[in-house]
Amino acid sequence: MPGLTRDKLLVCFSWGAVLLLVASVTAIIGFLVIKGYRSINLELIFADTRPLDAVLFKRPVFGGLFPAIIGTFFLILLSVGVALPLGLATGIYLAEYAPAGLKGFFSLIVDILAGIPSIVVGLFGFSITIFLHHFYDNRIFPCLLISALSLAFLVLPYIIKTTQEAIESLPLQIKLTAPSLGASKFENIIFVLLPSALSDVVSGVVLAIGRCAEDTAVIMLTGVVATAGIPKSIFASFEALPFYIYYIASEYSDPSELMKGYGAALILLLICAGLFALAHLIKHWIEQKTRFRY
Amino acid sequence: MIQFKEKIAQTFFAGASFFCVLVTLCVLGFMILLSLPVLETKMLWPILTDPWSPDHGQFGILSMIVGTFYLASFSLVISFPISLGCSFFIQLTHPGRSGQCLKKIVQLMTAIPTVVYGFVGVFLLVPVVREIFSYGSGMSILSASIMLAILISPTMILFFSQSFARVPKNFTGAVDALGGTAFQKIFYVILPQAWPGVLTGLVLAFGRAMGDTLIALMLSGNSVMLPSSLLDSARTLTAHIAMIIAADFDSIEFKTIFICGCVLYLMTSLGILAARLLDWKHA
Amino acid sequence: MEKRIRWISGLSILFFLLSVVGVCSASGLDAFKHENGTLRISGGTAHIPVMKEAAKRIMEFNTDIQIMIAGGGSGAGIKQVGEGLVDIGNSGRKPTDSEIDKFGLSMYKWAIDGVTAVVNPANPVTSLSSKELKEIYGGNIVNWKTIGGEDRPINIYTRDKSSGTRSVFWKKALGKGDISGKANFVASNGAMKTAVTNDPFAIGYVSVGYIDKSVAPVALDNITPSLQTVQAGEYNVARGLYSNTKGDPSGLAKKFIEYLLSPEGQKIVTRKGFIPVN
Repeated sequence: MPGLTRDKLLVCFSWGAVLLLVASVTAIIGFLVIKGYRSINLELIFADTRPLDAVLFKRPVFGGLFPAIIGTFFLILLSVGVALPLGLATGIYLAEYAPAGLKGFFSLIVDILAGIPSIVVGLFGFSITIFLHHFYDNRIFPCLLISALSLAFLVLPYIIKTTQEAIESLPLQIKLTAPSLGASKFENIIFVLLPSALSDVVSGVVLAIGRCAEDTAVIMLTGVVATAGIPKSIFASFEALPFYIYYIASEYSDPSELMKGYGAALILLLICAGLFALAHLIKHWIEQKTRFRY
Repeated sequence: MIQFKEKIAQTFFAGASFFCVLVTLCVLGFMILLSLPVLETKMLWPILTDPWSPDHGQFGILSMIVGTFYLASFSLVISFPISLGCSFFIQLTHPGRSGQCLKKIVQLMTAIPTVVYGFVGVFLLVPVVREIFSYGSGMSILSASIMLAILISPTMILFFSQSFARVPKNFTGAVDALGGTAFQKIFYVILPQAWPGVLTGLVLAFGRAMGDTLIALMLSGNSVMLPSSLLDSARTLTAHIAMIIAADFDSIEFKTIFICGCVLYLMTSLGILAARLLDWKHA
Repeated sequence: MEKRIRWISGLSILFFLLSVVGVCSASGLDAFKHENGTLRISGGTAHIPVMKEAAKRIMEFNTDIQIMIAGGGSGAGIKQVGEGLVDIGNSGRKPTDSEIDKFGLSMYKWAIDGVTAVVNPANPVTSLSSKELKEIYGGNIVNWKTIGGEDRPINIYTRDKSSGTRSVFWKKALGKGDISGKANFVASNGAMKTAVTNDPFAIGYVSVGYIDKSVAPVALDNITPSLQTVQAGEYNVARGLYSNTKGDPSGLAKKFIEYLLSPEGQKIVTRKGFIPVN
């Protein structure tokens, strides 16, 4: 029967695709784990400085991953710190306040922002630096602040879109109850809508954090260098984990540095996978706590 | 009093939104502004069509534009069948535990950093490509496309699955009730209904592939010639920007990167607009 | 009484000797004793190993000092120091007169280095004539078997225009000949070394100081590039390693350059594989 053969072909095709995909991912992760698990130890991160001294910032670390990890951490903190209020406010506006025509236009613009290649965002940050350097203060260079702001622009769409969709997909019962009891629009948002949409908003934030941790193109143009130590201020250059990995891949000077690169790649992979799992867990936990029956 | 607080809240929220829109438009604005010196000297056409040879005074980005297109297109060619097959698997042929398991794996894949793909590509894929084809250094459009395809597949798979799931259940139910096979279901019901979504997914993935920097920078060799075969080394607009950024400030090479930025911005925005139009027309 | 005089004079001689030694060793890291602040360095990638070692020693000695090192190539270094974006701009070539005039640069040469063509250690080809090198880079010789290697295409690697290593190689080894458009681009000396190590059919060029077991230098016109031949002047594809500042250096930048030129700094230069100037 022709129908059955074609069905069989379809199943074969699907299985083929799945096997190909799973095989490639396994190859990638497996390769990294096999080559890198031996390098994961305290020496990879702290080199010859005592861990306690390094963590308390008492002594600098040379040749270890610690400055890069701290750099990435500060980046995440600053950029999500800027993007979160901005993104939340915009998402709320689009979901609740915006008139229909404006809403369509703004959504389109947010989509375009989401589609801008990361290197163009980095280029934007770099050009802002040049402008400020020439017309404002001569001491402004590409630095942690500029990188964090550029990264904030990069992850803004994630937060905006998840907030907007989270609020919009709330059932009408929840949206209308508080206003019908006399609450103002603002009170409704703060006390009812946001808490109900919290799980989605939080997963959007964790997505943004993951994006900040792994992005390389933006920071390459706005202030990351290969050797900088712990950034002493937001106007200083800094190191970052993804850039370290790129740097090692293009110019490692001996096999031990290459091993460090594998270790760093494995660590970054674990951080991102960990964030992803965290997002899942938080979402699950919040959903359990704020379970509504509709 | 409450009215006043309301007004403030509304202004605050509106202000934030306007700021975001402003930033998006500013990005384009800055790119154009900083390309103006080049545009003024009427060098736009040469820049878009010449080869890149600074020693001979030629600063054309044609090979980079072509390189970007080749890379993105070929990675779509690789990724599309795989994504389609995987979404069939998740939605259709094995919607139970295996499908859910695959979906979880695919979602996890979206968390893998781009630089990790590039890193593994340099040390695993490039030597393999070099040995298999006995030609070139292994750093080529082929290697970069393969890694890029793996990068964009998860998003495409999730997007396609979502589009397939949106097909009304009474349609698919009708096929089952009439004794139709899975193949018939896909070809006569699901794809005709969901193809706008599939096309949107393709366009968005193409935009993502065009905009990727690290994989292209690490795996495609970055030569300046127009690529003539898949095994040739090529440079993309994104890698070009990353490489030139270290060059002099006032030189023409430096100014061309803003043109590259404009081209990239416009290409991806056009893609988004096209996807929006498709959605709107077939909503 | 005499014993006492002798004892005192011995002690004073000892004291005198110690203070002389003390003054001599003070020209090393002690200059950084009461400094603080940030020093930004960028530019030539050949300089980076020496920069990193010197920075490490200084930062370990005085934790209030922060030194940031970036690459970018000689062109970028000169431009950035001229624009005031960094304090010291390294270049692997002498800044041109127009650059010196435009930015008011002060140059300080602290090492001599060579640039050599390199191939993978597994490659049987270890010597080329200037003509063959020019033909290879020009894209006219495309297969290793033409010059005695395996029957595989030659993969050319080169640097971008900002690189001082490239401009020295282009001028002195290639005689300003064309470089084929098919060449793969890498961004630094380290990246070039990595590329050639990983590609058995590659040819590239690096600073002589970067050579180790992972790449094989190519003898040019029968002269093997090494520190000895560069120093003796036999291998003429050589260049100085410069650190440039805008105007006269001051503060941390001045002390850093003085440190590089001091005996301790020059020892670092030798240790990293370059030729000291003092």
